[in-house]
Amino acid sequence: MAVGRDLRVIGAVARNDIQVALTDRLFFFVGLIIPLNFLFVFILFALSGGLAPTAIVMNDHGPLAQQFVNAMGSSHSFRIHVTDATQAQRQIEAGDIVAVVTIPPDFDANLLAGRRVELPVLVNNLQTDFTNDIRRAVPLAITSFYASAFPNQVVVQAQEVDVQMHDTDYVPYLAVSVVVAAVLITGILQGSIVAAREYESNTIKELMLSPAPRWALAAGKVVGTVILNVGAVVVVTGVVVLLVGARPVHPLELVGLALLTMAAAVSIGILAGSLLKRRQAAIPLAIGLTLPLFFMSGPFGPANWLGPVGGFIALLSPMFYAIEAFQHAFHGYQTAPPSLATDVVVLIGFAAVSIVASAWVLNRARVAH
Amino acid sequence: MRAEGFEPAKMSEPMGYAIELAGVTKRFGDFTAVKDLTLRVSRGEIFGLLGPNGSGKTTTINMVSGLSQPSSGHVVVLGHDMATDSRRMRRSLGSVPQETALYEELSAEANLRFHADLFDVPRQGLEKRMTQLLDLVQLQERRRSRVSTFSGGMKRRLALARALLHDPELLYLDEPTLGVDVQSRRALWNYILDLKKQGKTALITTNYLEEANALCDRLAILDHGQLIVEDTPANLKRKYGDTVIELMLDPEPQSELLEKLRKLNGVADVTHVDGLVKVTVEGEQAVAGKVVMLVTRSSRLVSINQHTPNLDDVFLSLTGRALRD
Repeated sequence: MAVGRDLRVIGAVARNDIQVALTDRLFFFVGLIIPLNFLFVFILFALSGGLAPTAIVMNDHGPLAQQFVNAMGSSHSFRIHVTDATQAQRQIEAGDIVAVVTIPPDFDANLLAGRRVELPVLVNNLQTDFTNDIRRAVPLAITSFYASAFPNQVVVQAQEVDVQMHDTDYVPYLAVSVVVAAVLITGILQGSIVAAREYESNTIKELMLSPAPRWALAAGKVVGTVILNVGAVVVVTGVVVLLVGARPVHPLELVGLALLTMAAAVSIGILAGSLLKRRQAAIPLAIGLTLPLFFMSGPFGPANWLGPVGGFIALLSPMFYAIEAFQHAFHGYQTAPPSLATDVVVLIGFAAVSIVASAWVLNRARVAH
Repeated sequence: MRAEGFEPAKMSEPMGYAIELAGVTKRFGDFTAVKDLTLRVSRGEIFGLLGPNGSGKTTTINMVSGLSQPSSGHVVVLGHDMATDSRRMRRSLGSVPQETALYEELSAEANLRFHADLFDVPRQGLEKRMTQLLDLVQLQERRRSRVSTFSGGMKRRLALARALLHDPELLYLDEPTLGVDVQSRRALWNYILDLKKQGKTALITTNYLEEANALCDRLAILDHGQLIVEDTPANLKRKYGDTVIELMLDPEPQSELLEKLRKLNGVADVTHVDGLVKVTVEGEQAVAGKVVMLVTRSSRLVSINQHTPNLDDVFLSLTGRALRD
């Protein structure tokens, strides 16, 4: 029976690839070290870029001065610590901090008397990203402080209505994108290695000479490589859940999406490996392909925020749909229309098209002499 | 497009050809690996493709097995055109590629099981068949050992067992004893000869005339992708001599001497390259004494050597130049 025969081929190829990969040290390197490295690099990047380290020198310890410091701390822009003027000077000269905000003496008294208060802000304007954060955030902190300390004087107030049910911190948001990137880079790498290895070791002849349907050979490779990568997905997701604190609101959905995304990535990798036929070429291509895909797929916010051109390019990337779907599984929201179902269908489409293309490549493959 | 006048034998014909090549040419860019090759291999025959490295043997076997497509001409296997029907034919074909194509990280048994799954060998009786084949190739005790720990000969034997696992009608063996020690070579020859007893057809490529002589019903000698000669080993031997006498002379012989040698009774051929005279002798006739007597009249005999003809000798006779590599 054809279905039974095809399933037998899929199972055999999957089992074969698993057995071979488990004897290969490259598998452990690619399967665990690269995705974890990817994860940590981007989380460190997010942590280092999120809050500007700022020292506060308090020459007045009155309640209003304290309230101002609290307003700065609640602004989500500073990582503040209180110190003395000498220490603050040393820290900014050493490059340990971006700014020093000095609360002048008689801060409380002058405010209560309605006198103008000059607030010295020393900024290390080394690069404009952090400098502008300070330039934007200090006035906002002052406004926020005024709104709470003198509510009668601040008569214009924003009435925020939230689209989402809850706020999501930047790092847990970004961590989800990084999980997707780690899953994709692992899948593409492992898929390309599994396919290219057949050509390098000439075992491709065993597959080419067999009567097995080519699609079943490609599908077997996808199944085997996805199973091989389950461990990597669990470890990477576990790091995000346990260390970053991003808890999936739909855990079962997350499991399904992780397997689907891995299948799509592996399928793309197998196609790349079948075309390149050499691991030495496939590995840098897989890494080189994943990084731009990551940045053009809206990892830091919805891809539509990248503008019309950026948004259109993102639509071509499987990572865009995977990030959307993972954000839904982790945080319960849809970052960009249309729907989770669309994301799933598109990811299945990427996998199916890649499997068919790999089967076509295998069918067209000929030996080089 | 069919080659002119080419009509493949039908599968239903009991004595139909197992392999038919008609005007087959294979080009890789500007390089022509096989040029206008026409051959027919009968069912139940062991047919040898003989030639030096780069002569087009492997390219030919790749086209016959469907691993490569001819640039022009037709390859018909068991009555089916390989250009259109190769997938359907694969179950009837067994192949021992030159590189064996075994998964070195896996055991012998795992390689056989994988092959059985790919070729849909019935699970019932599979264990018994694997055991029989591993017994046949004397690898039963190593069935659970990793292939990477096997010698070259063991790998070739395992590749042969794997090729036989799905009981193919036609078997390709590309350089089956390349890099194999003498003992393993003899064992492999015995397995291949057993195939003939089972009525199977085999196409073998080899560098060794001795091997072709031991195994093949008929031979085709290729050079630079072209068919030089096609005949039975017996006819080739008859034609190119049972014995070759090599004589190193000082000074180099004159053409008159070579002519006199050619006219001697029982001498099939005389060639002369760089002072070395090769006299090919037909049958069992004892002409060595006459040859020596003749050459020592005009030259000093520096050395003399007598041996059965090898591919080099046949090549020299056929092409007037030494075998490459």
